[in-house]
Amino acid sequence: MNNQGRRRFIEQEIVKCSRCGTCRSICPVFLAENNENTTARSKNRLMEAVLEDDIELTPGVQKRFEKCLLCKACKAHCGSGVATDKVIMEGRAAAVERNGLSPMKKLAFTGLRYRKLFDLGLRTGALFQSLIFKKLPEGRGRVPRILLPGAGLNQRRIIPDMTANPLRVRLPKFIKARTAAGKGRVLFFTGCMLNYMYPESGEAVVGILTENGWDVVIPEKQCCCGTPAFTSGDVETGRFLAEQNIKAIRAEDYDHIVTACASCGAALKYEYEHVLGDSPLLKTWQGISTHVFDISQFVLRHCDLTKLGNLPIRVTYHDPCHLVRGMNVSAEPREILKAIPGLEFMEMKDASRCCGAGGSFSAVYYELSRKINDKKLDNIEDTGMDYLVTGCSSCRMHITDGLTQRKSAVEVLHTAEVIQMAYEAGRKEGKHVNS
Amino acid sequence: MLTAEVIQELSAVVGAKHVMDSAEDLIIYSNDATMFHSRPEAVVQPGNRDEVVQIVKIAGRHNLPVTCRGAGTCLSGGPIPLKGGIVLEMTRMNRILKVDAVNKVAVVEPGVITFSLASAANQVGLLYPPDPSSMKESTLGGNISECAGGPKGVKYGITRNFVLGVEAVLADGTIVKTGNEVDGDMAGPDWTMLFTGSEGTLGVIVSITLRLVPIPPVKKTLMAVYDRLEDAAKTVSVTMASGIIPTTLEIMDNLSIVSVENYLKIGLPVQAGGLLLIEVDGVQSTVEEDADHVSEICKKCGASEVKMAQNAAEAEELWLARRSINPAFGQVAPCKFAEDATVPRSLVPVLVGRVLEVQKKYDVPIFICGHAGDGNMHPTIMFDKRNKDQKERAEKALHDVHIITLELGGTLSGEHGIGFAKAPYLRAETGEIGYKLGQEIKRSVDPHGLLNPGKIFFYEGVLH
Ligand SMILES: Cc1cc2nc3c(=O)[nH]c(=O)nc-3n(C[C@H](O)[C@H](O)[C@H](O)COP(=O)(O)OP(=O)(O)OC[C@H]3O[C@@H](n4cnc5c(N)ncnc54)[C@H](O)[C@@H]3O)c2cc1C
Ligand code: SF4
Ligand code: SF4
Repeated sequence: MNNQGRRRFIEQEIVKCSRCGTCRSICPVFLAENNENTTARSKNRLMEAVLEDDIELTPGVQKRFEKCLLCKACKAHCGSGVATDKVIMEGRAAAVERNGLSPMKKLAFTGLRYRKLFDLGLRTGALFQSLIFKKLPEGRGRVPRILLPGAGLNQRRIIPDMTANPLRVRLPKFIKARTAAGKGRVLFFTGCMLNYMYPESGEAVVGILTENGWDVVIPEKQCCCGTPAFTSGDVETGRFLAEQNIKAIRAEDYDHIVTACASCGAALKYEYEHVLGDSPLLKTWQGISTHVFDISQFVLRHCDLTKLGNLPIRVTYHDPCHLVRGMNVSAEPREILKAIPGLEFMEMKDASRCCGAGGSFSAVYYELSRKINDKKLDNIEDTGMDYLVTGCSSCRMHITDGLTQRKSAVEVLHTAEVIQMAYEAGRKEGKHVNS
Repeated sequence: MLTAEVIQELSAVVGAKHVMDSAEDLIIYSNDATMFHSRPEAVVQPGNRDEVVQIVKIAGRHNLPVTCRGAGTCLSGGPIPLKGGIVLEMTRMNRILKVDAVNKVAVVEPGVITFSLASAANQVGLLYPPDPSSMKESTLGGNISECAGGPKGVKYGITRNFVLGVEAVLADGTIVKTGNEVDGDMAGPDWTMLFTGSEGTLGVIVSITLRLVPIPPVKKTLMAVYDRLEDAAKTVSVTMASGIIPTTLEIMDNLSIVSVENYLKIGLPVQAGGLLLIEVDGVQSTVEEDADHVSEICKKCGASEVKMAQNAAEAEELWLARRSINPAFGQVAPCKFAEDATVPRSLVPVLVGRVLEVQKKYDVPIFICGHAGDGNMHPTIMFDKRNKDQKERAEKALHDVHIITLELGGTLSGEHGIGFAKAPYLRAETGEIGYKLGQEIKRSVDPHGLLNPGKIFFYEGVLH
């Protein structure tokens, strides 16, 4: 979109805001801070003032736009349907144009743009991670000493051990289905977090797909989906990465595209439209987006649930914002979990409320994001279940961090890992998947 | 002028964190849920009563207006600081001090969200009936100050019927306590009522004592569909005259039905001229009987269909349409004047007819919905404020609606207050003497016009 188009878009959204204040009762940031400053309506109001030249895009305005998780709860509950999340993103973009990015983000996003450099950086990071991270006792992970791109790391945050062996290095580019009768080919968009931090989840995805007769292709040239960049207002990097990915996907043969990260999925399926603006690749993307599924959607539609074996674990499920409101996926993971024999499922209170991670939000406002997370942790622990299942690595990292800090016994698993475990159990039970 | 020195004084009272004066904050606190705005010079968030006293005294010394604010969901401009000065945001004072199940009384700070109190009462088997649609956001301080109503108003009454007492800080910093925890308190005039609905012009409410009632054991929900909106309106007055008092009697016109249906696609009767959502509550035996009786009345008045919910899930389904009115309206036009014109129940059909004429006259969509049971209608005028001509027509229609309401012997505000949005019409409602008396009362409590100046009786624009 050009400047004119962006302006018209923002105007169209904020004129709808009736300032009714409904967003007060659902914005997690507002509920933690109890300050009008942080509501969606205030951000719309500030944007209006900016457009009316009532105030310039001051660092003060920029700071207020930053204080948002982009959890989309305001939009989902807004009677007028104001896309405040987009307004905020536009606000951030305009502010970045005027005031620039913070030096930390600048560094991080430059890394993202040079995929090879980024890849190398992280792998070296893994090899030398003892230099970079303080290791915690009892294998509880590590506390970072440096900032990593996109992950929103903070000096106090506990993150999983970085792998010296990322997913895309572990797996070949092309993996054949386990069964003879191949059903078709699935393109797996891995995203950064699965690739570098939770490769086991990625392996689970591939396991599920191949088990069900799908060939898998993992394009080499895919890079970060761009969410950390474009949500921070770095439109240029965001678009660069989106275009890279579209080209990488376009170059492959596939029937479906599967993601296992809420943000990557939402970006690929919906957000790129806004990010690409007037890019010549917009049309290509439109063709691609209709093929994108979250792994849970894909399993429900294209995999065999009768082959799931007995998995006697007790779980509750957390809805990642970018799955439930970004991709409209919330029934699917639950349906699958409930279909697993022996698995006990209990719904937690406010399962779809943001966990407080919000990408770089938690880096800048770590204490606040912990406070928001604490509510989530209470609700998780109140269920009395042993496992928290979720479909987003960023939520997983943030929730694990919180659980570890409060010495909770609850463990976190990716939905794909649970499914894969159930398929493995099924295989042992002799429920082979042949079709 | 609010100087750095004043900021320092205020910070010394509440802590620097709770005094805001950056341009960004002042813009954010310049409005409520209306389209108007006016910037304060500072926003101060007191944490307790004594801090309020000190703030008011500082403001008095420097001749700075003080405008209270709860959640800022007001629909008449109440918390907008017309004359600048200090916005006193009361939301930090949000403790429920007591829920006394035996005496059925609750004591709360003004910043408590209405829904929080309703939930707390619910936990001990009690009901706090006033249920403004904004109850998940708005504060009890704001509710008391606006005398908020809601769907349950037909049977239980509005906020006024549940306030037993308040504690308020007056403009000179003194503290007054009105009423008490005794339901039948009749020691002199009802001072408590003076503060209820005073819209922050008489004192800063710092504590509120509220009456609670037992939760009725059962309720029954019905939906009646009409070819003609007028028949739905007639049902309202016939029902009320019959002696049965439903808990809710909500009306929706064709425009509302169609837009909700377009939005939700739940199979609402889009041909219908109007529908009524009716709820009766009480003990099992009478509820069944009342529901049947109401259903008959609906049919007699011309209802083409009456649906009765058989269980909670079905009741929820019936309510869904009513609850979705707001989002549905948003699909029609981005801006609206949400009015609360209220007339005697028997005149609801007349009001409906006249509003339909206004709609034609100015060619603007006006949705008619609202708490018809107590005559409190919500003609909602839709427009796009970026379209100058449309906005002007909407404003003219709004004017006509006010005048019609008054002509019918109604009131400008059934629940949203006067603020300054409706202040131009106030004298027409109160009469010369009533208007003057209002001014005198305010002057005797707040001689220097410190609290929320420019509102209600002190509006400075043209009066009708
Ligand atoms: C979507 C929506 C639906 C609504 N539905 C209803 C409804 O069904 N029924 C209804 O009656 N209203 C309704 N309203 C209007 C509004 O919610 C009510 O008027 C509500 O009571 C305002 O509460 P608040 O906390 O937001 O107060 P604010 O808007 O902040 O303030 C309202 C007034 O109260 C004063 N005030 C606030 N706190 C204090 C205090 N502690 N001491 C003294 N004065 C104080 C302010 O100065 C101001 O004049 C609705 C509004 C919206 C946006
Ligand atoms: S809920 Fe929507 S319309 Fe209401 S104030 Fe928030 S953003 Fe505006
Ligand atoms: S996106 Fe989430 S955090 Fe941001 S304003 Fe909306 S509700 Fe609040």
